[in-house]
Amino acid sequence: MKNLEMEIRIPRFDAYERVMHWMAALSFFYATLTGLALWSPKLYWIATVLGGGYHVRGSHPWVGVVFAVVMGVMARRWAAGMRLDADDRVWLTRMHKYATHDHAALPPSGQFNAGQKMLFWTQMAATLALFVSGFVLWFPEWMPRSLRLLSIAAHPLAAIGSITSILVHVYMGTAAVPHSMRAMLRGYVVQDWARFHHPKWYKTWRASNDV
Amino acid sequence: MIVAKLIDTTLCIGCKACEVACQEWNDQEYTMGTFDGSYQTKPELEANFWNLIKFNEVEKDGATSWLMSKYQCMHCADAGCLAACPAPGAIVPLANGTIDFVHENCIGCGYCITGCPFDVPRLNSTTKKAYKCTLCSDRTAVGLEPACIKTCPTNCLTFGERDELLRMAETRTVELKADGFADAGIYNPQGVGGTNVLYVLKHASEPEQYGLPKDPVIPWTVSLWKGPIKWMGMLMFWGTIFGAFFHFVIYGPQDPEKHGHPRDAEEEPSEKP
Repeated sequence: MKNLEMEIRIPRFDAYERVMHWMAALSFFYATLTGLALWSPKLYWIATVLGGGYHVRGSHPWVGVVFAVVMGVMARRWAAGMRLDADDRVWLTRMHKYATHDHAALPPSGQFNAGQKMLFWTQMAATLALFVSGFVLWFPEWMPRSLRLLSIAAHPLAAIGSITSILVHVYMGTAAVPHSMRAMLRGYVVQDWARFHHPKWYKTWRASNDV
Repeated sequence: MIVAKLIDTTLCIGCKACEVACQEWNDQEYTMGTFDGSYQTKPELEANFWNLIKFNEVEKDGATSWLMSKYQCMHCADAGCLAACPAPGAIVPLANGTIDFVHENCIGCGYCITGCPFDVPRLNSTTKKAYKCTLCSDRTAVGLEPACIKTCPTNCLTFGERDELLRMAETRTVELKADGFADAGIYNPQGVGGTNVLYVLKHASEPEQYGLPKDPVIPWTVSLWKGPIKWMGMLMFWGTIFGAFFHFVIYGPQDPEKHGHPRDAEEEPSEKP
């Protein structure tokens, strides 16, 4: 990118969205670490580092609740914009073009591309599954056995889907797409970036901003 | 040497001395239960009540009879509580076959309750840890028999070497069959690799009548979690991490100046398939 000072800054995420995103990220990070610790005895050392298994068993569900609430806030804010349009559906069939940087073969994206939208819906579905099964596992003495048996397998399954897609998300947001991190940390992007990654969104911005 | 308890249910008179002995030896505070019209002390096991004599009232051949059973930890060879426990060192199988809970390592998740096919462990709501019969590991360690065995007045309960007890149980079964109880047999469920609490039952083909599960196994969802789900998860986590790394090595980051623009929404409408 050219000299940032010379570029026009396009607001991408406002403070509300950034705080929301990072609260989700931090609570997810903690819940993932503690969850992995309780998932496999080989990873139990994580619990030891974070204050011991007894403490982790107490904190993991509460942090999970924080995460679920933040995801609810996120759904309110973003769900409407996450619906797949016709371009997105074409985009999904050409995902390999995106991965191999053949951008000319891709239909234009709006504020979020189809991959980001899929991440959003994956996380929403996983969060719902994690929250319901996690709630059952939280209070074993009050929950029916059949639900506990179901949850003991459903909770790690949903977590695997969730963590795997977040690993991809972290890679995309850091190494794979330069300057995208700035959008979530500082809230703005520059024109070239917007036009390249989110042409339809950029067009909407252009229409209401005379530049 | 594997030790075991043999419970000859045909000799139980329902005196509940074993319940008292268990409470006394383990220094448990007794909490009042609910009276629900049964001779049974409590409807269920509790975190501070590890040994319950069940007065199973059963209609048999037009008459009501009590099928007594002693409800407690079965000390399974293949223990479901241990399979489900996420805290290393919280559930320890001793060399003599006892499944012992080590409370300083217990994190109170209650997974052992879910993993146990006999629904035995209970969470203490104050300490937030799980409790159950220890087979009096603090007595057996110094050559004493468990408290319930010691106190049993009818020899319904026997403690000893497991193989020896199995032989005794066989002999007793033969006796019962000779007495006309054709269905007499031993309860030693193989689905959990056999238990170190063995029963002689008059109606061995219907253990449910005694409140014992017919074919207990470690719940398949627990096995699924500890087996395929764990492998799948590790594969997906590492696969994704390495996949992302090598994607970067091969393709590098996205670069608007090199990779050609997507069709501009402004200039031309997107192509429909």
